[in-house]
Amino acid sequence: MNMAIKEYLRMDNKYPISKENLAVKVTAADWREAVRAAGHLLEAAGSATREYTEAMVSAVEELGPYMVIMPKFALAHAAPSKAVIRDDASLITLRDPVCFGSENDPVYVILSICCTDRDSHRESMKRIARMIMQEGAIDRLASAETAEEVLAVLGDDQGS
Amino acid sequence: MGEIRIQAVCGFGCGSSLLLRIKIEEVLKENNLSATVFCGDLGTCLSQQCDAIFISEELSERIMNRAKVPVIPIRNFMNKKELTEKTLNFMKDFTK
Repeated sequence: MNMAIKEYLRMDNKYPISKENLAVKVTAADWREAVRAAGHLLEAAGSATREYTEAMVSAVEELGPYMVIMPKFALAHAAPSKAVIRDDASLITLRDPVCFGSENDPVYVILSICCTDRDSHRESMKRIARMIMQEGAIDRLASAETAEEVLAVLGDDQGS
Repeated sequence: MGEIRIQAVCGFGCGSSLLLRIKIEEVLKENNLSATVFCGDLGTCLSQQCDAIFISEELSERIMNRAKVPVIPIRNFMNKKELTEKTLNFMKDFTK
């Protein structure tokens, strides 16, 4: 798929997260591997660097697992910095859940976001927030077998 | 008196605090209440002028003793009931 189409799809508002930034049933031995897997998608998209991925891992080490904000779901992120090239988000689901040491463990779904500054990304975040807040959304994401199924859940924010 | 200012805090001021801010704004809107909600991070939140700090329970202990405004710990960001209860309780107490 050439760059022009890719960019168009990125700007297409149908889904808050682009298909290239999704990975389902990822194998990860522990939470670090899982967070890194989500970070690598951002790197592959050209939205953040390896430094940012490592910053997301450090964030959990320094601040504890507060980003496991609801059962089965973690929101991996780190501070806006030069390691972020542009606002973006990636989502992975895990074949086997991992534990972060949070009351909301075990985690099956990790959404990873990178922001260029504190106030950016609001519209996308609103859509993502609406989507994950829907009853059963996390469970549907966790049990999805393909990226298409994940997109179907993500696209479900259209009605609300 | 200006509008009530609520600071939604997480580790970095973007990410979970953004989600928290969105949820708080929703609760306010649904209950016809008005307040300014903004994002903050752990490092600078205590120096930001506000009337309350909403923060995840896990991080709340770090600022609890030093904050000059009510610190409201949230256990589950996405639990509408918890957020509604805590937001409404704060708004009620504040305007008493």
